[in-house]
Amino acid sequence: MNFNVSLVAMDYSSMVSFLLEGTVKAVELFFLTIVLSLPLGLLVARLRLSKIMVVQIPIKLYLLIMRGTPLILQLMFFMFFPPLVLGIPVDRFTVAVFSFTVNYAAYFAEIYRGGIESIPVGQQEAAYVLGLSPLQTFMRITLPQVVKRIIPTIANESMTLVKDTALASVIGVTELFRNAESMKATYFSVVPIAVAGLFYLIMNSVVAAFYSRVEKKLNYYKG
Amino acid sequence: MKLKRGISLILAMLLTSSVLAAGCSATAKTTSAANDSLAKVKTAGTLILGLDSAFPPMGFMNDKNEIVGFDIDLAREVTKRMGVALKLQPIDWDSNVLELNSGNIDCIWNGFTISDERKAEVNFTDAYMQNRQVVIVRGDSGITTLADLAGKTLCLQAGSSAADALASHADFKASLKNVVELSDNVTAFMELEGKTSDAILMDEIVAAYYITQNNKDYKILDESLADEQYGVGFRLGDQSLRDEVNNQLKAMAADGTLAEISDTWFGKNVTVIK
Amino acid sequence: MPTDEILSVSHVSKSFGELDVLKDMSLSVSRGEVVSVIGPSGSGKSTLLRVVNQLERAESGLISVCGRVLCQNDDKGHAVYADKETLKSIRLSIGLVFQSFHLFPHYSILKNITEAPVLVLKKSREEAEDTAHELLKKLGLSEKESAFPYQLSGGQQQRAAIARTLAMNPQMIFFDEPTSALDPELTGEVLKVIRSLADEHMTMVVVTHEMAFAGELSDRIIFMDQGVIIEEGAPEAVFSSDHERTRQFLQHYSK
Repeated sequence: MNFNVSLVAMDYSSMVSFLLEGTVKAVELFFLTIVLSLPLGLLVARLRLSKIMVVQIPIKLYLLIMRGTPLILQLMFFMFFPPLVLGIPVDRFTVAVFSFTVNYAAYFAEIYRGGIESIPVGQQEAAYVLGLSPLQTFMRITLPQVVKRIIPTIANESMTLVKDTALASVIGVTELFRNAESMKATYFSVVPIAVAGLFYLIMNSVVAAFYSRVEKKLNYYKG
Repeated sequence: MKLKRGISLILAMLLTSSVLAAGCSATAKTTSAANDSLAKVKTAGTLILGLDSAFPPMGFMNDKNEIVGFDIDLAREVTKRMGVALKLQPIDWDSNVLELNSGNIDCIWNGFTISDERKAEVNFTDAYMQNRQVVIVRGDSGITTLADLAGKTLCLQAGSSAADALASHADFKASLKNVVELSDNVTAFMELEGKTSDAILMDEIVAAYYITQNNKDYKILDESLADEQYGVGFRLGDQSLRDEVNNQLKAMAADGTLAEISDTWFGKNVTVIK
Repeated sequence: MPTDEILSVSHVSKSFGELDVLKDMSLSVSRGEVVSVIGPSGSGKSTLLRVVNQLERAESGLISVCGRVLCQNDDKGHAVYADKETLKSIRLSIGLVFQSFHLFPHYSILKNITEAPVLVLKKSREEAEDTAHELLKKLGLSEKESAFPYQLSGGQQQRAAIARTLAMNPQMIFFDEPTSALDPELTGEVLKVIRSLADEHMTMVVVTHEMAFAGELSDRIIFMDQGVIIEEGAPEAVFSSDHERTRQFLQHYSK
């Protein structure tokens, strides 16, 4: 067979620009997920600590399922279950954000809970005796200290999230990894994959540097 | 890759069977759906084509980052004649039927091999192109027949029709030393180049494209493992839409447009639709 | 209830599961009194303070603070607690200083002291800071106002904790073994503060192991053992008691 197609030499600038498009998608996915899942995780953590069984049991179930099943399956479930079984059409980017958010919120919830439970109860007693309300105690005394304690773990999870954005490719989101795969097929070369790897590294370096700064800022006290 | 395919297959079976269970009970529903699938597309003004945009030469990205390919050109001509726009939706190939059934795409048009198992899930047009599963070896390997591959390593793309073809040639498979399943064909070519594998089993169409494009000294063996045909896949109920596209392809065959497009891509007419 | 009775604990019982920690306990404190509570560990001294400060709930009995009822028995003999507002106002009228200080580590000493007045008493920040400055001066901690708890010695932290309690203007302060977590050379500075509060006629209940201090400062000493009051009276009386258990306990503290 002959192909009357001109040989496709590697056009670096257009390959990189296509990868950058994918990177932008990945960054969008990352930010939306972080912004939504951090507060949601806190809410879930509070509910998890509730003494009401009707609240605690569904929450524990949610935590088990989210952390116990592969994220890739969750993505596919949220993508295909609504239209196929419920007849509700979905948008794939929205599904990706939703799926990542509920998944990461579960991990954050347990991280928060660990942090909350590590604050000496004596401080809460001191606050109580001074007349602070439970909400005031949580928001002003407990939570600021929890944040400082969990920053390294949150940084870890954030860096994992940057890499997990690649999973959105299974539901057809044109993020960095998928775009790199397309480029690989176009140019019959793994250079795009290496470049994508570099882009992930750069993104995560920024994330790591950010949390490092936050850690330093919060280091004005010990304990 | 195999795990993903297995899991998506299970998901697909679970979800599709629950949909079919709901749909099977009302045949009247199916008939009306059959009639309005074309109307729906015409009202929407767009046909959404689902593809894995990493499958040259059928559907892939060119160096201007546009999605192009033989299938794309066919689809553009068909939709032009239908009077609707064409929207290209990249999907994950392992979930192609799920995407189709959930309504995210209207058709799968991407070097989609027709098979009996797939016919149970997908409504195909007539075959528009012939393909074979062939073996590629290095030019200097001295291998010229399938028998020469005894005791050698063969690699292929996991979950592809190459894997199916190999499975149905039990004797040949047994004669091999090793079968390696990889995520995609580019990786397979890397193995061949690096001599980690002695041969690749893949679509002839794609193989010829890669070999020409990269000017490699690879040979395609004359003996093929399977003859296959490509078709365009639609939802099982979408009869009117499928018929319309089928008719358009036939018309294009009749007036020579099909041969023209084939010529541009392959230098000759490789289409089979009449 | 006599007009200068500030705390009344009457037939209060409290158990933790199988363990009866307070058994039908009764005591009363008058305004301006300094009462020391001594006794072996597990005698229920801390629990008594925690129950009065609402950190634990009594099962039965009557507790009344500054003229308001915290809890009293229903006709089945179970303690029924007052409504939320009353409970809160009672909480605000008394203070508790902990053995482990429990300062807020992420706040400066100044903020530790001003936070509750601002949040709970709705004072302005300036007003709260003025009060805080005075208290810090009085307690000898002025140069530490911008420091954080981790930068202070144990004695300084406890003094800061006392300042934090004083900032809320309580009518009565409870001290739960205020010097037990301190190195011996640091206890002096805290005892000095408590002494000065006594001079200002602050009503105080102090659980302590510092016998000399207790003897010197208190109007009354209560000796508790296994959830009941064994003996109570003026320090000289208790220290020279003929009661067997009292003598046994005090033996450990003889010089």
